[in-house]
Amino acid sequence: MCGIAGFVNPDQPVARLPETVSGMLMAIGHRGPDGLGYVLDDHFAMGTVRLAILDPEAGIQPLSDPSGRYWLCYNGEIYNYQELRRELEAAGIAFQTHCDTEVVLQAWLHWGPECLARFNGGFAFALYDRHERRLVLARDRYGKRPLFYTRYQNTLLFASEMKAFLAVPGFSFAQDPEQLAAIYAQWTPLPEQTGFKGIKNLPVGAWLSFQNDSLEQHTYYRLSFETDIRLKTEEEALERIRDTVSQSVALRLRSDVEVGVYLSGGVDSAIVAALANTLSSQPLSTFSVAFEDKEFDESVEQQLVAQQLESHHVVQTIRHSDIVDSCPNAVYHAEIPAFRSAFIPMFLLSKRTSEAGIKVVLSGEGADEAFLGYDLFKETLLRAAWSDLSVEAKSARLKQLYPHLSHYGDQDNAAKMGLYQQFSTEHMAGLFSHELRFQNGRFSARLIQPGLVADPFAEITALVAGDPQFQAMSPVEKAQWLEYKTLLPGYLLSTQGERMSLAHGVENRCPFLDPHVIELAAATNLKFDDGFREKRLLREAFRGVVPAAVVDKRKFPYRAPDAEAFAAAPPDYLDLIRSDTELAKIPFVNPTFAKRLTEKVLNAPPGGVSTKENQTFLFLLSTALLHHFFVAREQAPFVLSTGVRPPVQRVVDLRTGSTN
Amino acid sequence: MEEQFLIEFDETFPEESNLFMEGVMDSFGYVQLCRFLEQEYDIQFTEEEMTGNVLTSLAQIKKYVAAKVAAKTT
Repeated sequence: MCGIAGFVNPDQPVARLPETVSGMLMAIGHRGPDGLGYVLDDHFAMGTVRLAILDPEAGIQPLSDPSGRYWLCYNGEIYNYQELRRELEAAGIAFQTHCDTEVVLQAWLHWGPECLARFNGGFAFALYDRHERRLVLARDRYGKRPLFYTRYQNTLLFASEMKAFLAVPGFSFAQDPEQLAAIYAQWTPLPEQTGFKGIKNLPVGAWLSFQNDSLEQHTYYRLSFETDIRLKTEEEALERIRDTVSQSVALRLRSDVEVGVYLSGGVDSAIVAALANTLSSQPLSTFSVAFEDKEFDESVEQQLVAQQLESHHVVQTIRHSDIVDSCPNAVYHAEIPAFRSAFIPMFLLSKRTSEAGIKVVLSGEGADEAFLGYDLFKETLLRAAWSDLSVEAKSARLKQLYPHLSHYGDQDNAAKMGLYQQFSTEHMAGLFSHELRFQNGRFSARLIQPGLVADPFAEITALVAGDPQFQAMSPVEKAQWLEYKTLLPGYLLSTQGERMSLAHGVENRCPFLDPHVIELAAATNLKFDDGFREKRLLREAFRGVVPAAVVDKRKFPYRAPDAEAFAAAPPDYLDLIRSDTELAKIPFVNPTFAKRLTEKVLNAPPGGVSTKENQTFLFLLSTALLHHFFVAREQAPFVLSTGVRPPVQRVVDLRTGSTN
Repeated sequence: MEEQFLIEFDETFPEESNLFMEGVMDSFGYVQLCRFLEQEYDIQFTEEEMTGNVLTSLAQIKKYVAAKVAAKTT
C-alpha cells in the first residue's frame, strides 16, 4: 500500500521538477513511511511513497519494464497476483521480483486495459509511456484506493490525496458550492466529486488516458447484480457463502507482514476475524474502538469475539474530548466534508494499530451493501410495497425498522405511518430508496447561500439516468447501487476507511469487497427470505463460528458522539463557524442559517439534536476546517498531517543532460 | 415548528406549503411534531388515520388538530 503523485506536461522549469514531485510525495508521506522514489524526464515526473508489504526489498518503486519505456507508480494490492503471474509466465514473460507491482505492469503491457477487469483487489496506479508521452490512470472497481487529478494550466496533476497539490507552485484550492451542495444533500460525494473546483476523483471502475493535451475516460466495470449462479436450496447457499467468504479472506491474508483485524462488535468483522484466525499460521491481533459514552459502545461483543479467538486484543477508548481534539487533523486527512464524526475514532485507532507494529488490517466493510445489512434496504422494501399492505402489516413492518433510533419506537408507530405514507411513491426519478434520507440532505444543503445552487440533486439524478442497467433494477438493487456509488466509496472506504488508516501507515483490506462475494450475495439476496432479518443468510452461514450473541445481534450502526462532543467543551477552532468575520471568509455559506444551527446544537438539551442537525453541523465544521487548511492555508500541512517523512530510496533522473 | 425546522412561515413560504415536498420534514422532526401535538392537545393519532395524508402542511395540521379537539369535547 502506498501513495502516488505526479504530473505530465509541466509548466515549470525542468530544474524545479524534483523539488515539486518530492514535495507532493512528502505531503502524502504518511501513506508510505517505508520509502520514497520518483522518476522524471523533461515531460513528466511521478513517484511513490511505499508501505512495504510484499517483497519489501525488491518492491521499491517506481518500476519500469526492462526497456525503460514504461514506468509504473502503483498503490494497492492485487490479491490474485500470483494467479495472474502464472498466466503471464505461461505466455513467456519473465519476472524480476516477487511483488504484485511488476505483475500490474506486465499485465498492462500484455493485455492492455483488459487487464483491469482481471484484477481482484484495491488499487490505483499511474503508468507512463515515455515513447508515446501517454499517461494512464486507473482505479479499482469498488473505490478501495483513491486517485485525484486536476488540470493546472497545461499540466495534468494527479495524486492519491489532494493535499499533494499543496506542494505544486502556484496551485490554489477553491471550494465549489455546487459540489458541496450535492455532498451535503446526499451525505457523500458522487464518484467524481471532491468538493474542490476543478479537482476530480477518478470514478471507480474507470481508467483514463492523457496524451497530446487530451483526456479520455473509459469505464471497464459497471456494477451489476445479474448473475449466472443458480442456487436451489438454502443449505446450498449457506455452503457457497462459507466457501466464498473464506477464500476471500485467504486471498487477503497474502502478505509478508503480520495482518490484524478491526473488530467493530458486529457480525461482519467477527466473521472475518474468525476466518483469519483459522486460516493464518500466526496468532491474531484484533483492534477495536470503545466509547466512554455507552450509547455508542460495542465493547461487550468485541470482547466476546476476542476471547473466543484468544486474540491479542487492543482497545482504543474514545471520550468526547478525543473527538474534539483530533477533529482538525482527521478532517485534514479526510479532505472531504463529513456528515458525522465517526471517522475521527478510526484516525485514533489506526494510530494505535500502527504503534502495535501492524501494517495491514482486515475489516468487515462491504458486507452490508452486498448482503442487505442496512435498514435502508428494509425501508425500501416496505415503502415499495406500501400500497399493497394492510394497516396491520404496515404497522408490523414499521416496528422492525431502525430500532437504534429513538424516534422509531413502537409508541411512535402512528407518526411513522403518516411519514411513510408520504414516501410510498417516487418523487425523485430513480432515487426512491433514498428519498427519506435526502430529506435530511435538503436541510443540510441550506448551508449554501440561497439562489447559488438550483438543485443539489441534479448531478445524482443525471448519474442514475446515465447508467444503462439502472432502470431495470429492482427498488432494492437500486438502493444497493446508490450505496455502492455514494456512501461506500465516498465515506466508508475513504473518509472513515483508508484516509484514516493510512494517516498512520495502516492498510485496510475488505474481504466482502470481492467480486465473487458480491456476485454470490446477489444470487442469494431475497431468494430464501423476505429481507426483513438483515443479512440473515450471512449470519446463518457462520452460526457456530462466531459467538451466538454476535450472530443474533441486531445491526448496530457504527456511530460516535457528534455535536454533543463539541457542546461539552467547545474548542477554540469553533470560532471558524461562530464568528461573523470567520464565516464571511467562506462566501458561499449562508451565515444566518449556519449561526442559527450552530447555536442551536451547541445549546440543545441532551437528546435534543436531530440527525439532520448533527449531520449539518458536522458538514459546516468540516467545510470550514477544509477552507482554513486548503483554501486559506492558515496552518502548515506538516502540523496537520502525521508528519511522516519517508526516506528517499530511488530517484531516476532521465532529464536531458542528466547523468543518471 | 419554526424553531424545530429552522424555517419561517411568510409569503414566500405559506402555511399551505407541503412540508414534505419542500424538503422541510424529516423523520425525527415529524415524529417529534406528532408527539408534541398529541401531548399539547391531549389527542391520539391512530395508525389508520395517519395513512390518510392528514399532516402534510401547517394549514392542514391546524385544521386536523382543531377537528380532533372539537370531536373530543362534543
